[in-house]
Amino acid sequence: MIDVSSSIACPECGQLHRYQPIAQGKTAMCKRCGSVLYRNRKHMLESVLALTTAGLLLFFLSNLFPLLGLRAQGVEQDLLLFGASVAFWGQGYHLLAGLIVLNTIVFPLFELVSLMIISLTAKYGWKPGLAIFLFRWMREIKPWGMLEVFMLGILVSVVKLGDLATLIVGTAFWSFAGLILTMAAASSMLEPFVVWRMLGHCKERQHAVTT
Amino acid sequence: MQSRHEPQTAREAGLLQCRTCGCLSHPPAQVSKRTIMRCPRCGARLHLHEHSNSIEITWALLIASALLYIPANTMPIMSVYMLGSGQPDTIISGVFHLLESGQWPLALVVFAASIVVPLLKLITLSFLLISIQRKSRWRQRDRLVLYKITEYVGRWSMVDVFVISILVGLVQFGNLARVEANAGSLSFAAVVVLTMFAARTLDEHLIWDISRKEEQH
Repeated sequence: MIDVSSSIACPECGQLHRYQPIAQGKTAMCKRCGSVLYRNRKHMLESVLALTTAGLLLFFLSNLFPLLGLRAQGVEQDLLLFGASVAFWGQGYHLLAGLIVLNTIVFPLFELVSLMIISLTAKYGWKPGLAIFLFRWMREIKPWGMLEVFMLGILVSVVKLGDLATLIVGTAFWSFAGLILTMAAASSMLEPFVVWRMLGHCKERQHAVTT
Repeated sequence: MQSRHEPQTAREAGLLQCRTCGCLSHPPAQVSKRTIMRCPRCGARLHLHEHSNSIEITWALLIASALLYIPANTMPIMSVYMLGSGQPDTIISGVFHLLESGQWPLALVVFAASIVVPLLKLITLSFLLISIQRKSRWRQRDRLVLYKITEYVGRWSMVDVFVISILVGLVQFGNLARVEANAGSLSFAAVVVLTMFAARTLDEHLIWDISRKEEQH
């Protein structure tokens, strides 16, 4: 039997490798397909913690203040992040409203909170149960958090409305841009292989759990 | 053959590789199609490749999204009412409006995200599925890159849905100017969601594994 505790398989192609610790700042790559296996980053957990703290602050700013305003003939209309899905709800497209709330509010918040709990657990050696659960679902949910796509949507809308009326760029627009940057930085900082190893080791001759 | 060579992949070594956390584990002695196996570290579902139904599920999702692609492009996605008179917009007419107002870079972005990307996704995923089913060994690394790109760009198609939601939320000035959502937006969002699921259910390891099996014969 192969010793499972010291072997790792490439996440992309399944190629087996022997696990070796690498120096700080180095990257281990698959010998067959060239995908990244793991990196040894300096101050990884501290950076993730700092970035997610900043991210949470920006998240609340982005939700409390209007993103955009429109003024036409003395009437002003504001749009909150939440207002985008309220608009669909009001027109009877409840599924779409739900989808947008998930894409722009629920999933990004879930990712931020998960990143924070995962790195705190890894840093302070807390019981890993919750962090393992969150990390597992964060990976599934990540593509469905669409802040940067929404930002592109804002830019397209701004151009479309440009000649129609006076546009006001709201406070939340800037915190929203900051939130996208901090979240991208935080999730690219977190090295999945390293963190999974911190949360739990694969034991030698370990069997899959059957139910 | 296996006695002379070290096993190359997790699958050849008879190991289960968790797709979530990467943990390797041994399958239990008896596995039927009914057995539910879970990763010992993270608890995610594990599948033996011969029991994987990834190809069937991906085909089902692809066919559903190909059908929905038709109403998504022919039905209006929103209507703009100016001074009482309304004008329904489809995805493609929205692109033309941007072109007419001289915003060609943006028109290009919307055209790429809303029309090219969903269509290319349908074509690439079908191509990948067919090449896997034909056990093709042709340019495996490039096909993996193609899969990665397809999986990554899919979410950007949502941009049109977001634009509709922002316009509907902002432009509510009664008779002066008003934007309403139309049913095409629902089919369009469904295409995006279904193709995203399709890209997720396609197991990209199948691109490599089949050729390994063939080489051993």
